[in-house]
Amino acid sequence: MTALREVFGEAKYRVRQNMLMRRLRFGILFFPLFIVTQGLQGAALEALPEFLRPDPFGGIVAADQSGIALRSVLYNAHRQVGLTGWRGGYASFQLVVKAPGPSRYTLVVTIADPTHKVKTDLFREWFHFVEADKQYYPDALIPAVSPYSSSLPEPDNRIPQQTAQAFWVDIFIPADATPGVLTGKAELAGGGKSVTLPLRLAVLSPQIPADDVVTIDHNSYGSSWLAEQFGNSMVCEPGHGFKCDEMFALIHAYHRIFYEHRGIFHQLGYGHAGKVAPEFAPVLEGSGRTKHIADWSLYDRHYGPLFDGSAFASSRRGPRSIPFVYLPINPEWPASYEFWGEPGYEAEFVNVVSEMERHFREKGWTHTNFEVFFNHKKRYQGFPWDGDEVRFPKDLDYFIEYGRLLKKALPPDSPVHFVFRADVSWDMEQQFKILEGIVNLWCCSGGILSFYRDAPKTLRERGDIVWYYGGPPSVTETSSTITEFPLRAWLWGVNGFVHWLTVSPGEDPWFHFDGGGTALVYSGKRFGISEPIPGIRLKIQRNCLQDLALIDSFKARKPLDSLKREVARNYNNSTLDDWWNPRPALADLPSDQWLGSAIDDAMQHTQRALKHPEAPAWYHVHQYALSLAVEAK
Amino acid sequence: MKFVYLFFLCFALAAAGNAQVNAEASAGMQNELDAVARVGSVMVDGDLCRRIVTPRAKHYMFATDPRDPWLAGDNYDVDDASFNAVKKTLIRLSHLASFPADVNLWMPIEGHPGKIQIVVRNKNEMSQFWTWGALYQDMFPPMETVLKTGQRVTVTNKPGWISVLAPVYNSLGDVVGLIEAVSRVKTDAHENVK
Repeated sequence: MTALREVFGEAKYRVRQNMLMRRLRFGILFFPLFIVTQGLQGAALEALPEFLRPDPFGGIVAADQSGIALRSVLYNAHRQVGLTGWRGGYASFQLVVKAPGPSRYTLVVTIADPTHKVKTDLFREWFHFVEADKQYYPDALIPAVSPYSSSLPEPDNRIPQQTAQAFWVDIFIPADATPGVLTGKAELAGGGKSVTLPLRLAVLSPQIPADDVVTIDHNSYGSSWLAEQFGNSMVCEPGHGFKCDEMFALIHAYHRIFYEHRGIFHQLGYGHAGKVAPEFAPVLEGSGRTKHIADWSLYDRHYGPLFDGSAFASSRRGPRSIPFVYLPINPEWPASYEFWGEPGYEAEFVNVVSEMERHFREKGWTHTNFEVFFNHKKRYQGFPWDGDEVRFPKDLDYFIEYGRLLKKALPPDSPVHFVFRADVSWDMEQQFKILEGIVNLWCCSGGILSFYRDAPKTLRERGDIVWYYGGPPSVTETSSTITEFPLRAWLWGVNGFVHWLTVSPGEDPWFHFDGGGTALVYSGKRFGISEPIPGIRLKIQRNCLQDLALIDSFKARKPLDSLKREVARNYNNSTLDDWWNPRPALADLPSDQWLGSAIDDAMQHTQRALKHPEAPAWYHVHQYALSLAVEAK
Repeated sequence: MKFVYLFFLCFALAAAGNAQVNAEASAGMQNELDAVARVGSVMVDGDLCRRIVTPRAKHYMFATDPRDPWLAGDNYDVDDASFNAVKKTLIRLSHLASFPADVNLWMPIEGHPGKIQIVVRNKNEMSQFWTWGALYQDMFPPMETVLKTGQRVTVTNKPGWISVLAPVYNSLGDVVGLIEAVSRVKTDAHENVK
């Protein structure tokens, strides 16, 4: 467009635009008539399991071809689509509308539940064009209402020669649903013809525990990434940051979408040199002994509904306080680094943190873990020590000092849960010892934690929380790849996993996608939705978490180790030993003598032993969970 | 039609007025930052500044390993006593301005002419020159001028940004680095917090 404007000049450009618009309107008027006459000749409706992602031409994406033998696994002998679900969770599958030529169609999906408790959610799958391999992959899920009418090729996805449109179907089975069989149908209609797939949903008696055995965190930084994806209208009151209700509603919507998918959401509110964005901290006034909190209003508008759970009132999982949150505390907040090591620093830190504890207590915000977490690295030149991934042991002195200050600031019997979190890699083994009783939430490099098999048990026995971190797999990986993170956490016996960034889908995820290595949700703005929308990987992760919670609940009947062994075997034919690396010789060296490449070498055992998960890897685990349920019955 | 004309007239007048206010604000800020930089040249200890980045960090700064893309960053280390002493001075200097400002320390890299690195940043996370995450950068001509001549240089290349660069001297009287006293006409509370 810019080029046209330059070639023709502004006035001529506008004339040409008007002409184009008139032609377009003419086309829009007659285009549907044309395609309706095409009818649904040769149309088909196919049901696919969740792990086989379709492409827009009727095939399966190359990454999931390893599961192609299970393409018809949902169909029973009567050509019914057989689905099985636990109570208190979701059963998912995909529908693919296929037509050899341009066609209009209507898709209806229904499950007949006389109690109206079971709900069906329909999503249209967006096919992203991935620049790296020039292929299409479905991921973003656009909420659709059944009956859903559209045409092939799907106009907004703009795929030349598209002959297949995929839909994700989530069937929500509440915890109080009656076990038994429900029937329904998926019906494709167009041009006077229709195709019907009968659906059969078996609601099983076991209930998925409401609490997960593994906490899956979706991390992010600040609010500007979110705002950018929803347009400038979200940025209000210029010069005062994000103060508008719409912005907080959007932030809460991000929390909600992850919560609905059995995950949690973190936003870090400060930068590497201590800059704190206004919505993440109360307003401070004064200096030295007079420093105090002057205004909680913005902080409370942001966090109040998250801490009291009211932000989740409309959720199917029910209102619940967010379990974890970053505090704005960093070396420059609340105490000024100008006074580091002096009485003024201690006074500012202790007084303000004490005020925070009192405020949280008075508000009754006692179900959230408030994290004191230092994210800065010295390579970003803000501070002279690494808060994140300490490599140089001398830096631990700063942690010890903050531990002392925290103890001084917080009443020992406070019902408010402050936790001291450290993200650790190089030096973790030493830190586990030196910072015992100071740090109690460990977020570990998965690669290096794999050297220390006894560590999770040791840490958890003393009351610490242990997570490990990594990043979401690209859509170009197999569909089951995302399940490897929660599975590893459960097999290792740690409490959780952190996706380091999950809300940044790149500049143009729709037509020039970077693969989604930093995104599990997308902006709904393109579709008129003022909230984030989920992706397929997030759905698969949720279903994996459901199964893990359920399988773990069988530990009263079977030893946990035996359950883990069977899950690992079903997943990728691995043993529990395959998930750990032997402690390497380099672990005995001071961490500042380690080389990054040597760490890679030390992880070769797991890399060799663990087969990359094939597309149906989690399907096999789900089948194992079903067998456990049958045994229990 | 008259209404439209009046509307645009009012808009143009408001914009012109705003531009004048911005220009005045900018000139005032420039004067203040120049004063901060002038004082900074006297107060910042160049010998201390030279001791901040450790020999190890300097050794790895330009090292590469195809198997380890983070080699330089993972080996970046500073002498915290020197860092803290200089940073505290820089923070106090920033208090001389009547608006949010940062005073950053930039140092040339021995053995690598044509390169310069930011060594200390501060809490508003402002710099007109730093590329986020860069351990070192190509020398900027105005910085080279400061290092060669010992003169203060004002830079307003990026719209809305004002930086005053001033020399940092060691005990021999040599210019060994420079400070960047920096602010923005309109601050962005969220930039870098992501």
